[in-house]
Amino acid sequence: MTHTLTIASRELRSLFVSPVAYVVLTLWSVIAGTFFLASLIGFQERLIQLQQYQMFQQIELMNLNDELIEPFIGSMWVILLFLLPAVTMGLVSSEKANGTDELLLTSPISIWDIVLGKFLAGAGFVTVMTAIVAFFPAILFVYGEPELGKTISGVLCLLFVSITYVAVGIFASSVTRSQLIAFVFTLVLLVMLGMMLPFIIDISMAGSGLGRESGIAQTVRWMSTGSHVDRMLKGLVDTADLAYFVISSAVFLLLSKTVIESARWR
Amino acid sequence: MSNGSSTQKQGNSPAIEVVGLAKRYGDFEAVRGLDFEVKPGEVVGFLGPNGAGKTTTMRMLTGFIPATDGEARIAGHDIFSDATNARRAIGYLPETPPLYPEMTPTSYVDFVARLKGVPRRSRKEAVERALGRCGLLDVRGREIRQLSKGYRQRVGLAQAIVHEPKVLVLDEPTVGLDPIQIREIRLLIQDLAATGGQTVLLSTHILAEVDAICQRVILLDRGRKVLDQSLTELTGGGVSLEEVFTRVMTRDEATEPGAEGEAA
Repeated sequence: MTHTLTIASRELRSLFVSPVAYVVLTLWSVIAGTFFLASLIGFQERLIQLQQYQMFQQIELMNLNDELIEPFIGSMWVILLFLLPAVTMGLVSSEKANGTDELLLTSPISIWDIVLGKFLAGAGFVTVMTAIVAFFPAILFVYGEPELGKTISGVLCLLFVSITYVAVGIFASSVTRSQLIAFVFTLVLLVMLGMMLPFIIDISMAGSGLGRESGIAQTVRWMSTGSHVDRMLKGLVDTADLAYFVISSAVFLLLSKTVIESARWR
Repeated sequence: MSNGSSTQKQGNSPAIEVVGLAKRYGDFEAVRGLDFEVKPGEVVGFLGPNGAGKTTTMRMLTGFIPATDGEARIAGHDIFSDATNARRAIGYLPETPPLYPEMTPTSYVDFVARLKGVPRRSRKEAVERALGRCGLLDVRGREIRQLSKGYRQRVGLAQAIVHEPKVLVLDEPTVGLDPIQIREIRLLIQDLAATGGQTVLLSTHILAEVDAICQRVILLDRGRKVLDQSLTELTGGGVSLEEVFTRVMTRDEATEPGAEGEAA
């Protein structure tokens, strides 16, 4: 446990002195700010429009959560798919490139210490990223009355999904010594996991005799992050969705540990 | 320092004990049936041409790669069944020092001290001592990436000695350094062995280096031990180490059929 924290704190310090971290955090903040402003303006325009047409019933139905916060966090999740690989790409691969894996693997620590330490550091970094996003809905509480529970559920959703993706990134980073390959591999995995899986399964199932609601189709759809994120963004915190985040993190961490361990046997 | 844990047969058991150690990569035998022992406090030079299996052997001893066959004990701890204790007893400087360029020597050596399990009370002191012994106090606050190669090598050494290991394994500690730096590193290693009482196993392909710091030579060629003798015995008859080396290597090549390709 102490070793896990040792690895994590070193990694976190290195992350925050690396230029990549600042490029990512800057881009992330700028994009978050732009998206938030855009959705705010959109919200206002729609409101004005509805008032002009005197559609008071629709105005009644409009609320900050469904029409501003939810799509905002949802789009930040999509941005995450493309930015997170830059954060996690070096987590394990740079150890190999530096030769520091030789230090870690000859120290009296376990491979789990290494993997979990990296995971913790990555989780710490994405917590900062989530906090940046959370700042914007927080402004709305000053000027309006969004639902607190729903907002928190949305922010937590982003946090959980980010942490899960860190585990994916660690796995992709552990299979190579090149940060570029790790970046591309993570990106492919995240896009698959995040968005492509349901489409792929629908297309392939259409041709087979199994149909869209067969066991395989449902399993694959469960494996995709999309549906879990959608539910949680709407404020539905379900243990099944939380279990999804825990299970997929655990699976990818276990894979990383196996990859690091098996590399020594070659 | 190491009084508590060293109650077990420190005196009579060898610091490094290797029996039938072998490493195969597919069909290629990098190390075959290696046996040797190193007594506590001895400085042993691991000599041999490139590709002789020096690095592979050191990597097996330090636990970086598992051996295909055979066994090895470090200060009485088996490297497989008692890996944690064996690793604790070893200080290892790989061929390329395992450094994080963005860290300072102080924070880096402190990180390694934590990894090696140096207790918190004595950690600061241990880090100071390691930095001091390796002559790093002047550059302790600079980023490692800004340091010269000689200094980086010193940081690598400081990392290896911070937990006061019984056994030091140094893989080509002077490779790529200029003559002055080489001299400094050699003096440092001699000093470590003399005052720290540490057992040192160092690999090199520079004969003069062995002459300068080692008490004993183990010569490897194509994964096998071809010579294991103390330096005084070897060069006692007025023969230089180079002559001995060349003689052994050519004799070895003559007895090895099908090795013509490697002779170049």
